Amino acid sequence: MAQSGLARNEHLSGWLFVMPALVLLGLFMIYPILWSLWMSFQVGRGMAFSFGGFTNIMRLTQDPVFLRALTNTLTFLAIQVPIMLVLALLFANALNDSKLWGRGLFRTAIFLPCVTSLVAYSVVFRSMFAQDGVINQFLMFAHIIASPIPWMADPFWSKVVIISAITWRWTGYNMIFYLAAMQNIDRSIYEAAKIDGVPAWARFWYITVPMLKPVILFTTVISTIGTLQLFDEPNLIPSTPGAPSDSTLTLSLYIYNLSFKFMPSFGYAATVSYVIVVMVGILTLIQFLAARERRT
Amino acid sequence: MSGLKLRNVKKSFGAVDVIKGVDLDIEDKQFVVFVGPSGCGKSTLLRMIAGLEQISSGDLFIGDKRMNEVDPAHRGIAMVFQSYALYPHMTVRENMGFALKFAGRPKEEIAKRVDEAARILELGKLLDRRPGQLSGGQRQRVAIGRAIVRHPDVFLFDEPLSNLDAELRVHMRIEIARLHKELNTTIIYVTHDQVEAMTLADKIVVLRDGIIEQAGSPLELYDDPDNLFVAGFIGSPKMNLLTGTAEAGGIRLADFPEHLVPSPVAVPAGTAVTVGIRPEHFDPTGSAALDTSVEIIEHLGGETYAYARGAGSNLLTIATDNNRTLKTGDRYQARFNPASLLVFGKDGKRLR
Repeated sequence: MAQSGLARNEHLSGWLFVMPALVLLGLFMIYPILWSLWMSFQVGRGMAFSFGGFTNIMRLTQDPVFLRALTNTLTFLAIQVPIMLVLALLFANALNDSKLWGRGLFRTAIFLPCVTSLVAYSVVFRSMFAQDGVINQFLMFAHIIASPIPWMADPFWSKVVIISAITWRWTGYNMIFYLAAMQNIDRSIYEAAKIDGVPAWARFWYITVPMLKPVILFTTVISTIGTLQLFDEPNLIPSTPGAPSDSTLTLSLYIYNLSFKFMPSFGYAATVSYVIVVMVGILTLIQFLAARERRT
Repeated sequence: MSGLKLRNVKKSFGAVDVIKGVDLDIEDKQFVVFVGPSGCGKSTLLRMIAGLEQISSGDLFIGDKRMNEVDPAHRGIAMVFQSYALYPHMTVRENMGFALKFAGRPKEEIAKRVDEAARILELGKLLDRRPGQLSGGQRQRVAIGRAIVRHPDVFLFDEPLSNLDAELRVHMRIEIARLHKELNTTIIYVTHDQVEAMTLADKIVVLRDGIIEQAGSPLELYDDPDNLFVAGFIGSPKMNLLTGTAEAGGIRLADFPEHLVPSPVAVPAGTAVTVGIRPEHFDPTGSAALDTSVEIIEHLGGETYAYARGAGSNLLTIATDNNRTLKTGDRYQARFNPASLLVFGKDGKRLR
């Protein structure tokens, strides 16, 4: 069927409106994504590179630093995301109670970290977790430890610091999503449950959590993506990025090092980037499958 | 045995008094309806009985036990909410069985009670559906089923039919009346719809501004209202209320100054009064009359209502004994029996 002049006109103005955004997206998003895919098959140093086929992928399997970064990133992911999301859910549930005194203040306080200056908070964390920092002083004062913990010198404790830092920074952000979703739940559902004698823990577990499922899925996906791209904290909090001895080195940090700190190996860096892309894809798919409604 | 007693029950939110002292006796197995305009405190009063709102002062007894501080789950009540308040992620069966699971009932008993409720409410085919797949009327039945399975002593209904369309509302009203007969328990029901109140209740409690204006059987309230508010609130179409002044030998109505209407009660001359007459109390054989001109005619088939006025601007609603020949602009002599008039004093109290 032939389009009328009016419909064509509307189509044209529609395209005109989205064109600036499309051009910018194409130039700064889609083109680099495709270019880096092509780059990931190139070998060579600096600007002198040539097509290497699967050489870079083979190199991944034999690169101990990459494997280290991969293990670290997955460790951060597996420990930090569940802790943060459970905390966010508990905070949201507590701060959703209309009888709680000062809940506006608490909400702000918990949300504030994610809008705080990154560098400022990293400096504060570095000083707090220094050998003679307030954390050690407090723990010794409270007789929880006998001698200072070498927070940033020990491979285990340095991971703990990084995990604490990102949890501190992003818990409030996720909490806001949960709070918003909780406020959409009809209050009378809880009242009905109360009259029905459903205890508080069961109201949370059997009513709140299932009703928040779409939001929990959403926060899980964005937190997974965020943690897989973790860069800022391991770059800023340790004395040197990734220290001690690469125990806080993440994939993003390694990509940065490969591109800008070592002799530039753009092709290999692009390959490592695509490792993150593939992991995000697989994990997100798994999460969607796990959260899918079971049809009876 | 689960009657309820409310003794000087009050509720304030901060400085605002919502319930200003309610005394009420509800007998076992009685169907009691709280009715009143929005903001009158009827829902608050129900929620206080349910335990969802604290009682600021006074006493609440269910059976013989004082329940002011008892947890809602242990008051022997079940409640049906206006929004249905179903658990959206559970099937109908799970919705109805959920409470019993936490009461520690064995699986077989839960299944038996759910099936029984499903039979009473004809929900058998819907047991494996989720609330999202049900119509409004079906959801309301599930909400009622969730209350039934708990075998409560007292059912509380908070405007349960307000979210349904008119036709379904009539149907569910009959269902609820049938249910009351079948379950044979105490029901407290809140509505703003006086027709629901009239048709369902054994006892109507009319509330306004946190106090009981009058409590009694539907016909008591209809025939013998204590005050202007109840007279105007109960009955559809509404009672005609006309202002006037008592004189020796009768009442002179402001809208009909040419007549002296005989008063059914003795009123001192000079007293300002309001006279009430129900539309159906106009009777072509009555001994008194008002001369009116007809402005609007409503043909309902079985009855014809005329909206007519005298000298003033107030329209009288008149049931014309199905006078189908009446036309707009006609003069109409609205006859009535003076004994059917209700007279109210300046303070709104009935003069008897």
